[in-house]
Amino acid sequence: MNSNTTAEPIRPMRVVTDDLDRKVTIPTNVTRVVSLAPNLTESIFAVGAGDRLVGVTTFCNYPEQAKQIGKIGDTMNPNMESIVALKPDIVFVSTASQIENFTKTLEANGIAVYVTNPTDLAQVFKSIRTLGDILGTGDTASLVADALEQRVAAINVALRDLPQSGPMQLDDGRVRVFVQISREPLFTIGSGSFLNQLVAAAGGISTTAEIPSAYPKISKETAVALRPGAIILSDSPDNKEPNDAFKNSYAVKEGRVYTVNADLLSRPGPRLVDAMEQVARYLHPEKFK
Amino acid sequence: MLFLLAIVLTSAAMLGAERLPLFDLSEQQRSILYDIRLPRILLGACVGASLAVAGAGLQSLLRNPLAEPYLLGVSNGAALGTMVAFVFFQSLEITRPLLAFAGAGLATIAVYRMAKSRAGMNVERLVLSGVIVTTFLSSIIVMLTTLLDAAKLRSFTFWLLGDLSQATVNGVYISLGAVIVGTIVLMSQARALNLMMVGERDAFDFGVEVGRVRMLVFGAASLVVGAAVAASGSVGYVGLIVPHLVRLTVGSDNRLVVPFSAIVGAIFVVFADTIARTAIAPRELPVGAVTALIGAPLFIYLLRRN
Repeated sequence: MNSNTTAEPIRPMRVVTDDLDRKVTIPTNVTRVVSLAPNLTESIFAVGAGDRLVGVTTFCNYPEQAKQIGKIGDTMNPNMESIVALKPDIVFVSTASQIENFTKTLEANGIAVYVTNPTDLAQVFKSIRTLGDILGTGDTASLVADALEQRVAAINVALRDLPQSGPMQLDDGRVRVFVQISREPLFTIGSGSFLNQLVAAAGGISTTAEIPSAYPKISKETAVALRPGAIILSDSPDNKEPNDAFKNSYAVKEGRVYTVNADLLSRPGPRLVDAMEQVARYLHPEKFK
Repeated sequence: MLFLLAIVLTSAAMLGAERLPLFDLSEQQRSILYDIRLPRILLGACVGASLAVAGAGLQSLLRNPLAEPYLLGVSNGAALGTMVAFVFFQSLEITRPLLAFAGAGLATIAVYRMAKSRAGMNVERLVLSGVIVTTFLSSIIVMLTTLLDAAKLRSFTFWLLGDLSQATVNGVYISLGAVIVGTIVLMSQARALNLMMVGERDAFDFGVEVGRVRMLVFGAASLVVGAAVAASGSVGYVGLIVPHLVRLTVGSDNRLVVPFSAIVGAIFVVFADTIARTAIAPRELPVGAVTALIGAPLFIYLLRRN
């Protein structure tokens, strides 16, 4: 690999810094990319570099073209041999936990590993611009990020001066929201989840924002006492309705139970704005007529 | 003993993630108590009693202090049955226990068939067959988990660790029915089991129908373990430890060991689940983690004492 006797022209390289402040040396002209997370795959397509993807995970199901790309396992168990065989210039990784195991192996094979783990809207936009820079599609990335930021700004404008219309709202008109991830056992979002912020940006307040960990399993007794004004279901086969603990809640009695595609809610990527728009419309339909 | 059970049940009903007053409950607090907390406590009691009587019956039948539902593949058979309900059927309240019972029964029959040789039934072979069937079923369970999507995997993993949070009133009826029938069957065989503990030969000479006793005990164990596993997943150590503790106190007469195991098993699981419900409230621990935390050191202590 590292012998200097080959007649290959030397590729121009440059150094970029990833989210963990690692210095990563990459080709100036990146042509072959592997993504190990569905949110990064979506972002790479969004900045117009989807055609460089040579390997993605089995979870990467969006956009439609992503399904045609070779799979290298799932996010938790990517197959090293498949990745090395693809000869990518760079592998995008979303979690620090993935990295320790195979950074060494990949780098020994001359493959750069870039970690980016956006956890809120601002970081998603930043990550989109960075990906554009790395993949040489900076202009497209800027346009995409600007458009997304404008949509967020539009939601903020629409949600000004919320009326105090329901009993389960705060004084400023924000709705008390419970986000249900799984019906049985009852999982919700906790302090470690970026979704509290999304709910807040959509004119709600997450009733479980103080509970430790990102996706805690909570006591049904607590669920009864939360008294949500609206329930958001992350759509999955076993999460089609609210847990029985909510049967007497305002949200269920008033029919304020809403379903949002689980991929939209769980992926800090460009479609997070779609999720935010949906939640905002559900919580404050009168503001989006 | 019953008095102690009453105390444990009452204190469990007073403790939980939400503080409830003793009197004058609001409608919401009543709902917490009657819809959520009490069914869960009763289910815990049924599960504890089930696992303990199954352990007591199997230990006497096989004259092996280590015999218990897990070792003999009964629990894993039930777990696989439940998992099949989980993966292939819309997990209805009745399909789970039925498939769990079927799985427990099939696993027991398989273990029994493997262990039975022309020379008759030998306990070492039986335990070895149990271990083989258990590990084989475990590998199928692991393979099936790879087919689950992330959301299902999370709820299944929790269930596999032993979780009473999915208690429903109907679930309590099913478990209560199973544990009552199972305990009555085991009680009816208590005298025969006492004779079999001496040795199958002697029991046979005393006129005990060894084959029939074995069928009834295996059947009852499959029934109660199937119901328990379907309701709460794999709560470990109960079937192993409780009968030992009971024998230390009341001796080895099964006419006492079986009913006392039921009561002590209920106390143990309700106590463990109260910890599971309150230790990190409003979050919850799986009760199986708590029974293992209490059970493993206790078991080592018992081993060293003997």
